[in-house]
Amino acid sequence: MILVISLVVAILFGAGAYLLLKPDLFRVIVGVVLVSHAANLALMGSGLSRGQPPIYPLPFSDGISDPLVQALTLTAIVIGFAVTTLLLGLVVRVYRSHFAPDLDEVARAEARREAELERDEVSI
Amino acid sequence: MLRLLPAIIALGAFAAILAGWAAGGGAVEAAWAPSWGLELSFELDGLGALYGLLATGIGFPVFAYAARYLPLHLDHQGRSHREEWRFFGLLLLFMVSMVGLVTARDLILLFVFWDLTAVSSYFLIGYDRQEAEARSSALMALLVTGVTAVLLLAAILLLWAEYGTFSLPELAARARPGALVTGAGVLVAIAGLAKSAQVPFHFWLPRAMAAPTPVSAYLHSAAMVAAGVFLLARFYPLLALSGLVLDLLLAAGLASIAIGGVLALTCDRLKQVLAYSTISQYGYVATMYGLGGGKSVAAAAFYVLSHALAKSALFLTAGAVTEATGEDRLSRLGGLARSMPALAVGSGLAAAGLAALPLTIGFFKDELFFAASFDDSWPAAVAAVAAAGLTFAYIGRFWLRIFAGRRRSDAVRLPPLLTAPVAVLGLAVLLGGAFAPPFGDLAAAAARASAGAVPPIEPAYHLDARAENLMALAAYATGILLLAAPWLWRRPAAWVASTGARLGPERAYTVGLAGLNRFSDAIHEIEVRDLRSRIAAVLVPGGALAVAGLAATPTAGAYRAGTLSTDDLALVLTLAVVALAAIGTAAPRHHLTLLLSVAGVGFGLAVVYALLGGPDVALVAVLVETVAALVFLGVFALVPRDVLRRMEAIPTPRRRRWRDPAIGIFAGAVVFFVVWGALSRPSPAAAIADEHVRLAPQAHAKDVVTAILADFRGLDTLGEITVIAVALVGVTTLLARGRLR
Amino acid sequence: MRPTLSQAVARLILLPGLAISIATLVKGYGDAGDGFAAGVIAALTLLVQYVAFGYREAERRIPGLRRLPVAAVAGLARALAVALVPAARGDAILTHWPPPGDSPVRLGTLELVSAVLFDVGVFLVVLGVVTGAVGAIARAAERAGGRA
Repeated sequence: MILVISLVVAILFGAGAYLLLKPDLFRVIVGVVLVSHAANLALMGSGLSRGQPPIYPLPFSDGISDPLVQALTLTAIVIGFAVTTLLLGLVVRVYRSHFAPDLDEVARAEARREAELERDEVSI
Repeated sequence: MLRLLPAIIALGAFAAILAGWAAGGGAVEAAWAPSWGLELSFELDGLGALYGLLATGIGFPVFAYAARYLPLHLDHQGRSHREEWRFFGLLLLFMVSMVGLVTARDLILLFVFWDLTAVSSYFLIGYDRQEAEARSSALMALLVTGVTAVLLLAAILLLWAEYGTFSLPELAARARPGALVTGAGVLVAIAGLAKSAQVPFHFWLPRAMAAPTPVSAYLHSAAMVAAGVFLLARFYPLLALSGLVLDLLLAAGLASIAIGGVLALTCDRLKQVLAYSTISQYGYVATMYGLGGGKSVAAAAFYVLSHALAKSALFLTAGAVTEATGEDRLSRLGGLARSMPALAVGSGLAAAGLAALPLTIGFFKDELFFAASFDDSWPAAVAAVAAAGLTFAYIGRFWLRIFAGRRRSDAVRLPPLLTAPVAVLGLAVLLGGAFAPPFGDLAAAAARASAGAVPPIEPAYHLDARAENLMALAAYATGILLLAAPWLWRRPAAWVASTGARLGPERAYTVGLAGLNRFSDAIHEIEVRDLRSRIAAVLVPGGALAVAGLAATPTAGAYRAGTLSTDDLALVLTLAVVALAAIGTAAPRHHLTLLLSVAGVGFGLAVVYALLGGPDVALVAVLVETVAALVFLGVFALVPRDVLRRMEAIPTPRRRRWRDPAIGIFAGAVVFFVVWGALSRPSPAAAIADEHVRLAPQAHAKDVVTAILADFRGLDTLGEITVIAVALVGVTTLLARGRLR
Repeated sequence: MRPTLSQAVARLILLPGLAISIATLVKGYGDAGDGFAAGVIAALTLLVQYVAFGYREAERRIPGLRRLPVAAVAGLARALAVALVPAARGDAILTHWPPPGDSPVRLGTLELVSAVLFDVGVFLVVLGVVTGAVGAIARAAERAGGRA
């Protein structure tokens, strides 16, 4: 089981890292989402015990699953969502100022703008 | 009338401190962070009273002066009068932080106020923000005093680590001589010397003269620079434990007297003369702390008091003269005594005080100084006479060039509010000469706060041939000689000035700052050009570290495959779906397909969580995944179709076609080994989870996860909801109408 | 205009959705679910209204929807208050009432404990944040001339 979970975490992370390198900002965000999924799964997988939900009345026969990692994962999921939303807001902002949520375009526009600024400085 | 409000507040604060002091002082305490040993603890002891009375008592005339000066200043620069409030607000903030600083008994509190004075002085020095010189001067003052403030914090933490208290009186009782106390003492001394503009940190003060005159008069005579020697006085019980620290103070003080004095003699700009004079005068104070002993400490406290009165009057004079004539250079001024007699008399008294003429409070400051140095050694006595002679000369030159001699410029009539404060301060200097004992008592009380048993200060005139009187006469003679024969010193002084400009510490500062700037530009070039190289700048070193860690870890027994039973079939299948969906995110061209795959990952993981025995997590994961998909859809709707299509159609460059997947696979492989290794060896601290399970009923909860979130680890949850609330603020701001620039 | 199917569904699930979310919230201490889940359920119910009716119509139909982001602030303040009130009384922060051993006040099968108040704060923050963010996107979309 440990091996299976690690493998899936690795696949999630690898796919996320791959997407992070794309110029398309939406793909970058999906990459961030996948990396945080990988972290969440690793957290859940690190639970020390596995069994019934940790809710009273506790089952007599089976063990219960580790509640601590669940609480941590829950927090991480919600924060991950907030971060995703914020990133999406940023992408919209970038689109509005550069007319493309695309890194190569943004880099070109910034280089243009910097050149303009430097020209202005010289003329002053 | 409203403009006089700050002055009235200062007067009220002065009266309050005076009343508190007359009532025997007192202390206020409140818990701040008791578990860290921090307290909001203030005490009005002799030292606090002396500096608090200075900060408020000189604040009163200076603020009154500023009430008239500032509108004129703003008019000259064509600025709106609305900017006045920023000025007075900052001045008051400065005064409050100064009073807080001198009464704080807790060292962290002291540090906070110390930094507050630096920050408010930054804004005050840079008040004429349209001028580049004012901005760079303010930055210089902030950097010099702010960076050295960090040393003060380091010293405080060192002492805390050794003696376990932030309270100064306790620290003074517990500290023993040793390397640690010496080290902390050196740090404190550097912080104090930098704030008092002592050599080699003196260069910021002449630059800070770019500030409006009331700022110079207040910060650079009675408050900001005084805070530096205040720190020395406050820490004196600790500093005195180490001879090295006292020698350091002595050396810096003597160097400051000499360099400040010589440069004050050569400067042409009014406020520059006064700035170098301040450096030199606080050099006296540092010297006296360096000499050590009760007598010197008492002399130092008295010196600060009398110097502050005289110097603030002289700064105000410089501002008033420039206001009346439009000139700020000694070489273009002269003979103004007839057209502005009140100013001439007021500043004359102040100058006499600084030159230590009899009948002024200044006479006693030098008398005490002479006595302390005479007791120490004959070289100290000779240095003291030379220093006093230098002071006599430069301050005499300052006053005579402005008010005596041939008239060189026209002067308009000054409003009374620009001359009255000078006259008041001049009279105070004279009053101190006539009725010195109360001033002496205050200084002695201040000295007792730093050095314990101190002989009482009994300022009185003695018409006999005692050493102090002879030394004073020798100093006057030196001063008159220097004034009468400028050819004696002109060449060497010019050499000192030019050498200082070429090789001095200011050059080190400029070169260092330029170097830092270049360094940050270079980093910017490398790192900030492109988001991907930025990501790489984080991920590559991180990955390299992980790989190094993996390589260094022994592998024997580090990896366990774990067990699989038939019950786990559903789990494994779901995980396989998740993995497939994750791989699927890499392929699709269309954004909607991408969204579907990532949603598949999310929902698959929710099922995994449910199968792992976490219904709470699974529930939240499903819900969050749904909302996230909706948000993604909404954002796609914000970007026009053709832009999305254009992005989808971007071809991958050839070199990226192999590189990106390779990086992804490599990253995945590293993570695989790290996570597998981590999961194979669970931490033995299983007790925490069991404890949580056991305690849940006591917290009246049946769901242990909820109990952890809302109770056991509630602070985490509090932090988390703060984060998501901040994210909301970010999103609404980012999506708001209009453009961010 | 005849309501579309989605609008009919949206109208149907509005009240039950909110009811379920409240139930999840108050029973969170006794069963699966807590402030987060409850907040997202409520937000999701409201988002369905956004999707079905468009944000203008949805905000007209449900008064106060537009000001829901304020709930995030209120929730944060509430959670902070629950955390800090014990500190004012000299206990460690986030000390909950009733203390271990005491039996809580019961209201039917509900147990009233201060941890639930904290969870209500969490609920409000989540609800406010989700609806606020989506509302901002919807408004931006309309300005951009698209649809949400």
